[in-house]
Amino acid sequence: MKEFWSVFKHGISIENPLTVLMIGLCATLAVSTQVEGSLAMSVAVIFVLVMSNVLISAFRKFIPVEVRIPIFIVIIASFVTIVDLFLKAFSPDIYAVLGIWIPLIVVNCIILGRAEAFAYHNTVLLSIADGLGMGLGYTLVIVGMAFIREFFGTGQVKVMGATVLSMPSGYQGPNILLLFPGAFIVFGFIIALMRWLNDRSAARKEA
Amino acid sequence: MAAVGHYALLFIGAALINNILLTRFIALCSFFGISNNMHTAIGMSAAVVFVMMMASTTTWIVWKVLLVPLGVGEFLYIPAFILIIAALVQFVEMYLRKSSPVLYRAMGIYLPLITTNCAVLAAATEVAKPGFFKMNMAYGYSLGEGLVYTLGVAVGYGFALIAFTALRERLDIAPVPKALKGNPMSFITAGLLSLAYVGLAGWFGL
Repeated sequence: MKEFWSVFKHGISIENPLTVLMIGLCATLAVSTQVEGSLAMSVAVIFVLVMSNVLISAFRKFIPVEVRIPIFIVIIASFVTIVDLFLKAFSPDIYAVLGIWIPLIVVNCIILGRAEAFAYHNTVLLSIADGLGMGLGYTLVIVGMAFIREFFGTGQVKVMGATVLSMPSGYQGPNILLLFPGAFIVFGFIIALMRWLNDRSAARKEA
Repeated sequence: MAAVGHYALLFIGAALINNILLTRFIALCSFFGISNNMHTAIGMSAAVVFVMMMASTTTWIVWKVLLVPLGVGEFLYIPAFILIIAALVQFVEMYLRKSSPVLYRAMGIYLPLITTNCAVLAAATEVAKPGFFKMNMAYGYSLGEGLVYTLGVAVGYGFALIAFTALRERLDIAPVPKALKGNPMSFITAGLLSLAYVGLAGWFGL
């Protein structure tokens, strides 16, 4: 159980897929203009990541090394198709926002990367922890980024049509935050911040 | 004449105005992963042009000949296209190793990486199943249009990658605050580079 938690926590901080491993960036930068869309994207990623981790770790003894990559991709593609069809059927609004990023989860390096680096060598339980931890680490960064961009860009944060938080009226946000350069720049500063925090806690441990 | 203009617009739209890296955020892993070194960036760009053209041709044919007539396109396109690309890349790699060692040495190591390069999947899907990118002009591409479009995407990819690599090589020796050194600074630079592309948005109604 202790191992479960340590694997789980790794995904959130030390091995955070976005800010440390720097994989799976494409969707993050594109989707993070809205908090709501980011949450939906995170749920989709967590689902695919945990399910494919479970399946791959359960069958790891039967998957031959030579053809493991195609097998991983087929497993991942099946779960992505489930999410794709599910969203299209039950929540067309969110599907319209996420659009092409759902099919592109197949080539999201986080998922294939975890299958290859973790699930293929570990038990089912630990792979679940890894999937959840990585997924949560992903969620924190993407939602945080979406919050910054939506709040300061438009002056309010909306979830499910209700305004959760808003700036005083008359606030005019810098439009650049919502455009694509904003994504790169905000993300650059987020990595710098995460790195600064990690360095500081490491320095404190040594002292 | 009109036809030439049509193809030119298709090419420019794909290469510059809807640049796959800087305005669509597709294939960013490779954008940041291999832009340390000019030599690698050029090799990867060439490999992407090559694989993308082949992948788009194949997915276009499979979509028109196999998936649509069988009525399974909507729910099989993701696994089908990614498998096509993975298999194709494998074949290209084997073929190059046997027949053209020079070319293999130049781009061999990038080929496996291309399987998970989202740009290839994205372009190949757009060509077969238009509207995927939500571009203003949703075509039912003919094979010729599809190939021009793909070439545009691939050239746009290469151009942005090489420009960014040049910037990054300079940044390595620039004085930058410690917390921003390396990746954070690269992202900010990419942001400034993509700012240039904002100016192109909406040209020719693309």
